[in-house]
Amino acid sequence: MTASADSVSVGKATATGRRGEVSRTARQDRARVSKPGESMNSWQSKLRPYLFIAPLVILSGIFIYYCIGFTVATSFTDWDGISDEMDFIGLRNYAKLLTPGSVFWTALKNNIIFMVVTVVIQAGLGLLLAVILKERLRGSNVFKAIFFMPIAMAPVIIAAIFRIIMDPNVGAINEALRFLHLDFLAQSWLGDPKIALYSICAINIFEWMGFSMIIYYAGLMSISEDIYEAAKIDGCGFWNTLFRITIPNLSGTTNTLILLGIVGSLKTFDIVIQTTGGGPGRSTEFLNTYLYKAGVQQFNGGLSAAIGVMVLIIAVILSIVQVIVNNRANR
Amino acid sequence: MKRKTSTTVIMYVVLFFFLIIWLFPIVTAITKSLQVGGFSSYQSVITNPDVHYFRVVFNSLFIALVTAVVVVFITSLAGFAFSKMKFAGQNVIYVAMLACMAVPIASVTMPLFFTIKTFGLTNTYLGMIIPLVAFNALQMLLLWRNYFDGIPNEIIEAARVDGCSTWRIYLRILMPISTPMIATTGVLTFVYSWNEYLIPLLLIRDESKYTVTLASTYFMETRSQTPEMVAQEYAALILMTIPSIIVYLISQKWLQSGITAGAVKS
Repeated sequence: MTASADSVSVGKATATGRRGEVSRTARQDRARVSKPGESMNSWQSKLRPYLFIAPLVILSGIFIYYCIGFTVATSFTDWDGISDEMDFIGLRNYAKLLTPGSVFWTALKNNIIFMVVTVVIQAGLGLLLAVILKERLRGSNVFKAIFFMPIAMAPVIIAAIFRIIMDPNVGAINEALRFLHLDFLAQSWLGDPKIALYSICAINIFEWMGFSMIIYYAGLMSISEDIYEAAKIDGCGFWNTLFRITIPNLSGTTNTLILLGIVGSLKTFDIVIQTTGGGPGRSTEFLNTYLYKAGVQQFNGGLSAAIGVMVLIIAVILSIVQVIVNNRANR
Repeated sequence: MKRKTSTTVIMYVVLFFFLIIWLFPIVTAITKSLQVGGFSSYQSVITNPDVHYFRVVFNSLFIALVTAVVVVFITSLAGFAFSKMKFAGQNVIYVAMLACMAVPIASVTMPLFFTIKTFGLTNTYLGMIIPLVAFNALQMLLLWRNYFDGIPNEIIEAARVDGCSTWRIYLRILMPISTPMIATTGVLTFVYSWNEYLIPLLLIRDESKYTVTLASTYFMETRSQTPEMVAQEYAALILMTIPSIIVYLISQKWLQSGITAGAVKS
């Protein structure tokens, strides 16, 4: 019997090295001696890792892959999203989607504008505040806690608060502007097609700026203090230090934030559906709101699935890039 | 490092400027909710006959808690296997799982709804918990695997020599030393599940199963603009946010470490 009590790999050396082989056998013997009751055949130990990953694979992997397969399959049909009936219609949904000037392109454009605006401002503000907070001024923990707090709050509730605040009549923003005699700045923040998308960006920035801040803060903490001391001795001023030392040293963090920003933009749904629902017109339509409305409200499950496939393609590419970036950071 | 006084002043000015912006929505909501009739707006939300406030909070709490426990359990087990065991297909399965990490729940709206309906799980806790577990688990798997990669193999080797089974190593040795990681992934999953809106929106029609996110939109349905209605809307939103703020105050540290662990590795 070539019993192996451990499917646990013990260091890279043991897997290949000869010395490892010896110690492994010795360990197996001991394990066998100490636990005679437990029959350890190789069949069982080979199976063990699969038992450890089984709950995750079943609950998460199979569920998500089933949903993805379902989406891909129905994207070639005229399914209404409710009944069991569907007919194969080939690529007609995709053709409709990709027609120049279609809603899909508007939604994609909005997603991209949203992504660029929020990522840049969140990163910029986050870095600024992280640099200040790192100075450990009196009360900096309180500031940090408040800037970070929206992350714990539901986006849909924050969006609801902003929906009232941004209301042209009863909203606090316009009230404040009128109070300051700046009436000309008062806007229909979510009702004007020209600015509604940027109002949604602002809500997102409120929600997620703390995310960038906290990640930059952690990044700043990992930069050696010696570098700053050296820079000081060399007579580097504040701005020089910021642009020549701090920002270059945080480039990995910045890349991560850009990536997570793209992922976040692709997931954006709650804020939009709560504030504008994609309107006025299609001026704030996002991929997810378009998909949701097509499937749930307009009974066009097939088209909705085709949008889903487009989102999935982008998402899977992003996930893989994310894992690669993560692995590089781990090294 | 010594600082000039002027630098300190500028820093405080910047901090307070943004503090005002970040407090503005909350402070506005609180003052406006009290402006008309004081606490009566809160009272009318709490005594709403259709959506019971405490019931709604309980629903969210229950769902988020169960999801967090399940996710921590299954992802720590799998993270352990992916990090410390060797088996055929290991990398393929791991990559296949993480390939879905950026998949938005919204992109699979239709199958999600249809599948849960087919199994008769609409309007149930289980119907919400299953997709929440599925979609939250992947990020936590990444965190657990990275974490176990940092745990020295010698710990496991030593336990093995002492005759511990793999299961015992996981339960009696690794889990007790991993309490910070359990807290981090647990809190992160809890907050994400608590804040989820699309899943209850798709699956719940029965008001007794409403979550706080769904209940908040219930109170927003009224398009009325009278000061009384605005006050009540704000009151409802504040009431729905209070549990989140309490959770935040308790778990801030773990939430921060979870967010940073996902993005930067020290």
